[in-house]
Amino acid sequence: MNNEYAISVNNVGKTYRSRDGADNTVLSGLDFHVRPGQFVSIVGQSGSGKTTLLKTISGLQDPTEGEILVKGRPIREGLEDIAMVFQSPVLLPWRNNLDNVLLPLEFRGTRTEEATRYARELLEMVGLGDRATRYSYELSGGMQQRVAICRALVTHPELLLMDEPFGALDAMTRDSMNIEIQRIWRNTGCSVLFVTHSIPEAVWLADRVVVVGDRPGRIVADVEIDLPRPRGKEHRFSPAFSEHATEVESYIGVTAGIS
Amino acid sequence: MVASPDVTQKDRGRPAVAAGPAAERPVRRRGPRRDSVTAAVKAVVGVLGLFAVWELVVALADPPEYLLVGPISAFVELAERPGYFAENTFITLQEALAGFALGTALGVLCGAALHYSTTIRSFLYPALIAIDTIPKVALAPLFIVWFGFGFESKAFVAMAIAFFPLVINTYDGLGSVPHELQELARINKASAWKRMAKIEFIYAIPSILSGAKISISLAVGGAVVGEFIAGSKGLGYVIMLANSQVDLPSMFAAFIVLAAIALALFFLVDLAGRKLVPWKQHTR
Ligand SMILES: Nc1ncnc2c1ncn2[C@@H]1O[C@H](COP(=O)(O)OP(=O)(O)OP(=O)(O)O)[C@@H](O)[C@H]1O
Ligand SMILES: [Mg+2]
Repeated sequence: MNNEYAISVNNVGKTYRSRDGADNTVLSGLDFHVRPGQFVSIVGQSGSGKTTLLKTISGLQDPTEGEILVKGRPIREGLEDIAMVFQSPVLLPWRNNLDNVLLPLEFRGTRTEEATRYARELLEMVGLGDRATRYSYELSGGMQQRVAICRALVTHPELLLMDEPFGALDAMTRDSMNIEIQRIWRNTGCSVLFVTHSIPEAVWLADRVVVVGDRPGRIVADVEIDLPRPRGKEHRFSPAFSEHATEVESYIGVTAGIS
Repeated sequence: MVASPDVTQKDRGRPAVAAGPAAERPVRRRGPRRDSVTAAVKAVVGVLGLFAVWELVVALADPPEYLLVGPISAFVELAERPGYFAENTFITLQEALAGFALGTALGVLCGAALHYSTTIRSFLYPALIAIDTIPKVALAPLFIVWFGFGFESKAFVAMAIAFFPLVINTYDGLGSVPHELQELARINKASAWKRMAKIEFIYAIPSILSGAKISISLAVGGAVVGEFIAGSKGLGYVIMLANSQVDLPSMFAAFIVLAAIALALFFLVDLAGRKLVPWKQHTR
């Protein structure tokens, strides 16, 4: 298709076939494109297929219909450019933070001195420079998730997939992580697909908010967020911000905003 | 054949991953050193108390010596024939350890095969469960037919008993890896070997170790049962001989030695676990 997109989701559908033969169509006719360096939030009700979408984009699952192109190439070959952050950090308790960050490179067999230096820089960037040789049990939940973000960034991904990365954090930590992720994103220049249940979070962070409707999952709205950057805390209470949030909310069922 | 004192649910299954806000707990703990010292003191006091009660019961009830003797008689017996007991203990220990080592190796291998191959799992798992229902000591006569009256048959009985907890626990442990880590490995195209070495087997270690803790005591029992049935050496033989001679001090001396070696082996495995899995103590 088109090489100018970081990612193209072309008419993608995903149907799970259960053992009794019943088909469960989770995604249907999904079509959207992300420009390089864009930050796209994805919101939608629980069970609408957001996680399924991320797994399909990352190549963990194959779509049953359509195709996904990363920089114009089918995802099978493009895996190197993708990284994922999960809802829980799942750090390895027997590795210190630095070694946890380097795990993806060990998987790839490309752990080098230079990579180690970069991993330290990343930890520095998220304010954990002095904790490199500490273990995850010595960190708070927010700190652990920052290590997990470093672990995702260490492979220099061009596309960062985040599946409710701050869902398990308290509101205050979450706010500071939101400010932090904007900074990280600016520094690395990668494209981000960010799944969240929080509409304010989605609007605050994103260039675009894609609303996924359920049964089957499809795009019901694609809202451009043309607020100035960088966006500090004060922007969350601006009238323009509320307008966008209200608009996004109007596309979702009433229950989705809670969480 | 002492019941494993510490094999409870808390040691089974997945190692607690420090995940999410659950990890936001104070790091301050009582010094582990001091904890284990007081625990050891309590354990010793418990054992001494047990001996005291036992001696007291014998002193008060004053049973004939062919029914029950006190621990003092047993220890006197031990002191009078140290060579005899040491020699036979060494035999039983060797059989048990050989059986345990073999059972552990085979058990871990088998558990891993069950985890990694769906084909092997579908063929082997039902068969294993069926075999597991046979009391392993019932196999002892068969092993004696196959491997003779010597060392091997007892080691194989010990192995047969030690094997199953390790199969199950290895299989469980390998299956306990959080799916996010498996996905992380797949996204980064980790080879199967790297996945095993860097994640899966390390995750399984706590579970394998709790299997080993169960197996080590079982292996001692297996060796003794083998010696009951056939043999002219080992603590099982000591017990049988004492039985035929109505020599209760000697029999109780053998019980005490058995309990002591089972306990010692158990704590050795436990200690190995603490060395191998230092992170587990923090993630509780
Ligand atoms: N491996 C699977 N096999 C069968 N069905 C699945 C599988 N994974 C997900 N589903 C189904 O797909 C639907 C979408 O699930 P998914 O996890 O993608 O939703 P989600 O939007 O991420 O929800 P949430 O917001 O709660 O995380 C659900 O109905 C779920 O039951
Ligand atoms: Mg989800």
